[in-house]
Amino acid sequence: MMQAPLLAARSLTKSFDGFVANREISLDLNKGELVSIIGPNGAGKSTLFNMLSGCLSPDSGSLMFKGIDLIGVPTHRFVRCGIAKSFQITSVFPALSVLENVCAAVQAVDRPFDIWTRRSCLRQHVEKATGILADVGLVDKRHARADSISHGEQRSLEIAIALASDPELLLLDEPTAGMSPEETRSVISLVERIRSSRTIALVEHKMKLIMEISDRIIVLHQGEVLAVGTPATIQMDENVKRVYLGTGRGGRQ
Amino acid sequence: MKAEMTKGRAPSAIGRVRLQARAWREVVQRHQLLLLVICLAIVPILLPFTSLAILILVFGLFAAAFNVLYGYAGILSLGHAALFGTGAYTCGILIVRFGLTWPLAVVCGAVAAGLLGVAFAFLSLRVRGVYFAMITLALGQCVFFAAFQASSWTGGDNGLRDVVVPPFGVGGFTVNMVDPLVRYYVILLFVTLALWFLFRVLSSPFGLTLEMIRENETRARSCGIDVVGAKRLAFVISGVISGMAGALYAIHLSTVPLETLSLNTSGQVVMMVLLGGMGTFSGPFVGAAVFLIAEHVSDIVAYWQTIVGLLFISAVLFFPKGIWGSLLALGERR
Amino acid sequence: MEYTFALLLQQAMTGLALGAIYVLSALGLSLIFGMLNIVSFAHGAFFMVGAYVGAVVLTHTGSFALAVISAFAAGYGVGALSERLLVRRLYGQGINYPLLLTFGLAYVLVDIVRMIFGREGTTVATPAVLRGAIDLGFGTFPIYRVFLIVFTACLLSITWFAIERTNWGLIIRAGSRDSSILRILGIDVSRVWLITFGLGTALAALAGILAAPIRGANPEMGGTVLAEAFVVTVLGGMGSLAGTAMAGCLAGLVVSMTTLFAPEFADLSLYMLMAGVLLFSPNGLFARVRTA
Repeated sequence: MMQAPLLAARSLTKSFDGFVANREISLDLNKGELVSIIGPNGAGKSTLFNMLSGCLSPDSGSLMFKGIDLIGVPTHRFVRCGIAKSFQITSVFPALSVLENVCAAVQAVDRPFDIWTRRSCLRQHVEKATGILADVGLVDKRHARADSISHGEQRSLEIAIALASDPELLLLDEPTAGMSPEETRSVISLVERIRSSRTIALVEHKMKLIMEISDRIIVLHQGEVLAVGTPATIQMDENVKRVYLGTGRGGRQ
Repeated sequence: MKAEMTKGRAPSAIGRVRLQARAWREVVQRHQLLLLVICLAIVPILLPFTSLAILILVFGLFAAAFNVLYGYAGILSLGHAALFGTGAYTCGILIVRFGLTWPLAVVCGAVAAGLLGVAFAFLSLRVRGVYFAMITLALGQCVFFAAFQASSWTGGDNGLRDVVVPPFGVGGFTVNMVDPLVRYYVILLFVTLALWFLFRVLSSPFGLTLEMIRENETRARSCGIDVVGAKRLAFVISGVISGMAGALYAIHLSTVPLETLSLNTSGQVVMMVLLGGMGTFSGPFVGAAVFLIAEHVSDIVAYWQTIVGLLFISAVLFFPKGIWGSLLALGERR
Repeated sequence: MEYTFALLLQQAMTGLALGAIYVLSALGLSLIFGMLNIVSFAHGAFFMVGAYVGAVVLTHTGSFALAVISAFAAGYGVGALSERLLVRRLYGQGINYPLLLTFGLAYVLVDIVRMIFGREGTTVATPAVLRGAIDLGFGTFPIYRVFLIVFTACLLSITWFAIERTNWGLIIRAGSRDSSILRILGIDVSRVWLITFGLGTALAALAGILAAPIRGANPEMGGTVLAEAFVVTVLGGMGSLAGTAMAGCLAGLVVSMTTLFAPEFADLSLYMLMAGVLLFSPNGLFARVRTA
C-alpha cells in the first residue's frame, strides 16, 4: 500500500505580469526520496521551488505538506513546518561570521525573540552549528566573515544554513553552481550522507550527477511538467530527448 | 584563537601586530559594557565642562537606543526625536503638573515613549525601504506639531518649564541635583541601568535576530524569522530607552524645549550614530561626544554646523563604519 | 463666522494654490527617486537656496522672471556639483547612504546660507505684475495664487509630455527600470544621472522662489518643506506623476479647509491625513510602483 506523499502539490500556477511561469504543476514528493527537478532555462524551476518553500504564493492550486495546508501560510512559518531551501543565488549574512550565520539559523527556529538569555550561554546552539559546519567542511573557516570566504565555500554555507533548521524536506536550488569538480564532489557526498534522514528535492543542471543520485526525476518545460520517472525512464523518454536536443543544449557536463 | 597565517610559516611582524590587535579587540568586546561605564564615570574628571558631559551621557543613550534600530536591525527611522521628546515631556509634565516623584516620572517617560514606539511601528512598518523612512519623518513632524498645539500642557514654543528635582536624602546624605557633578553621577546611574538592559538585549538571541534582518532580510525570513514582529519589538525597545534619555534630559535642563521633538534632533541622532559607529555598542557614545564637543567648540569657531556636516559627509563616503567602528575593525580577520 | 458657499470656494482655491506648492516641491523629489533611486534629503535645502537666490536677484534687479530663472539655474548648478562630487560615489549602495549623504549636504547648505544671509529670514515681495486680486465670480482671489496654480498645471503638463512623449523621457523611463540598458545603447549614463539630479534640485529651487512671496525665506524652512514633500510623495505613490499631482491637490485642500474650520489643527492636518491614508492603504493612494 502506498504511503501518503510527504508533499503533495496540485495544479500550482504562478504568473508574473501575464507571463505564466508555472502552469498547473502537480507533483508528489515521497518521504525519504531524492527527487531532481530538471529542465531548460526558463522552465520555471526556481519559481516552483519558491512556491514550495513559501517565498512565493501560488496564484492557484493546493499545497499539502504532512497533511497541513500550506496555502496562505507566511514565508517564515514554512521552516517551522519542516521545509527549508538553499538559494540559487548565494544569500548569506555577509558581515556575520560563518559560525554566526549557522547559529543564527539554528536559533531562528528555537528562540528568535528571546531578549534576555545570553547567547554565549547557549552552548547547544554553537555545538549544533559547529556540527553542521563540520558536515559541510567549513569548520576551519568558522570565524571568518561570510563575505570573505570563496564562492564555493559560500555555496556550502548556503546549504549549512538550510540544514540548520533540521528540515524534513530540503530543497536545494543549484547547490553546486559555480563550484569546482572537487567542491561538487564534496557537496554530492554530503547530500548522500544526509539523504537517509531527509527528503530532498534538487534543482541541478549537471545531468550525469542527477542520473546517478536521483530516485526520481521531474522534467519541467515551459512552466509545465513534461515527464516524471526514474532516471532510466527519463533517459529513454522521447519528449525529454526532443526538448533537450531541440534546444541544442543537452545536459551540461 | 586561530592565527591568521598560512600553515607552517612563522607570523610576520605585521601578523603579530594583527594578532595582538585582535586579542585586544576581543577583550574589549567581551567587557564592552563595563569599559564603557568606567570611561563614562571618569569623563567628568577629564572634561572640565560637566554640563557638556551630561549632554554626552543623555544623547549617547539616545544614540545607543537609535543604534538598536539602525545599527543592529538596519531600520532607518527619521522621526526618532518624537520618542526622545515624548519621554522628556511626559516626565516633565508628571513632575510639574502632578508632582510625581522624579524617578517614577523618568520611568513613566520611558514607558510613554515605548507606547509611542508601538504606534509608530504599527503605522510605519506596513511599508518598506524608502517609504518607511519618509513615514517616520512625517510621523515625527506630527508629534512635533501636536506638542506645539497643546501648549497648555507643553508650553508650546516656550517649552515646559520648572521641571525641578528637589534635594533628596539617600542614606543620610542630601543629594542636591543643582550641583552638575552630582547630577552627572545620578544620571549616570540611570544610564548604566539602561545600557545594561540594552547590552542584555543585544547579546541575546534577539540581538542576533536583528542582525540577521539587517544583513539579509529575505534570508532571515526564510530561516523562520517573523521579520515584521522583530522590527516592532526593536522599535519598542528603542522607544523605551530613547524615552528614558529624553526624561533624563528634562531632569538635566529643568525645562523641556520644543526643539527636543524637532526634525533637527532626529537628524542629529542619526549623525551621532553614523559618526561613532553603527552596530557597535560604544560607537553611539563616541559619536555623541564628537558631535557635542564640536557644537561646544562653536563658541570659538563659528559655523560648527558646516564642519560637522562636512565631517558627516566624509564619514558617509569614506568611513561608514564610524570612528569607533573603524577602530574595532582594525585587525579584524578578513 | 458664516460659512457661505463663496467662502468655501475661496478656501478651496487657496487649497489648490497650496497644493501647487506641494506638487512643485514633490516633483523634483519624485524625479530623483524615480531615476536614481535616491531620496534626496537635501531637497528642502535646495528649496531654501532657490528662495534666497531668487530673493537676492529680485532685490537687485526688480525682475521676478529673472529671479525665477536664476533660482532654477542656481538649483541646477549646486545640485549638479553635488552630484558630481558627492552623490555619484554612492550609487548602488542601497537607499540609506545616499539619504544620509544628502542629509549632511543639507546641514552644510543651511549653514552656508546662514553665514551669508544671517539667521533671520527675509520676506519676498509679490512681483508687481502679479499683485492684487482678481474677481472669480464667487469672490476676489489673489492673482499670485492663481498664477501659482496655472504655472504648476503648465509645468506638470510639460513634464508629462517630456517624460511620456520625448526621447529624453524615454531614456529616463527606461533607465529607471534598468540602467544597464542605457549603457548597452551607448548612452552616457553618468551624464543622464547628472542632468536628472540637477533637474530635480532645480525644480526644488524653483518651488522655493515661487513660494517665497507667500512663505518668505528663512534658513530653517527646509525641514518643513522636506516633510511636506515626503507626505505628498507617500500619498501619491513614488514615480507617479498623476499621483503626485492629485495627492498635492488633496493635501492642499485638506490643509486649507482645516485652517478654515479648525485652525489649531492646520499644521497637524497634513500629517494626520497621511497617517489616516496609510492605515487603509499602505502604498499610498495612487501607487504605481511597487514598494521596496
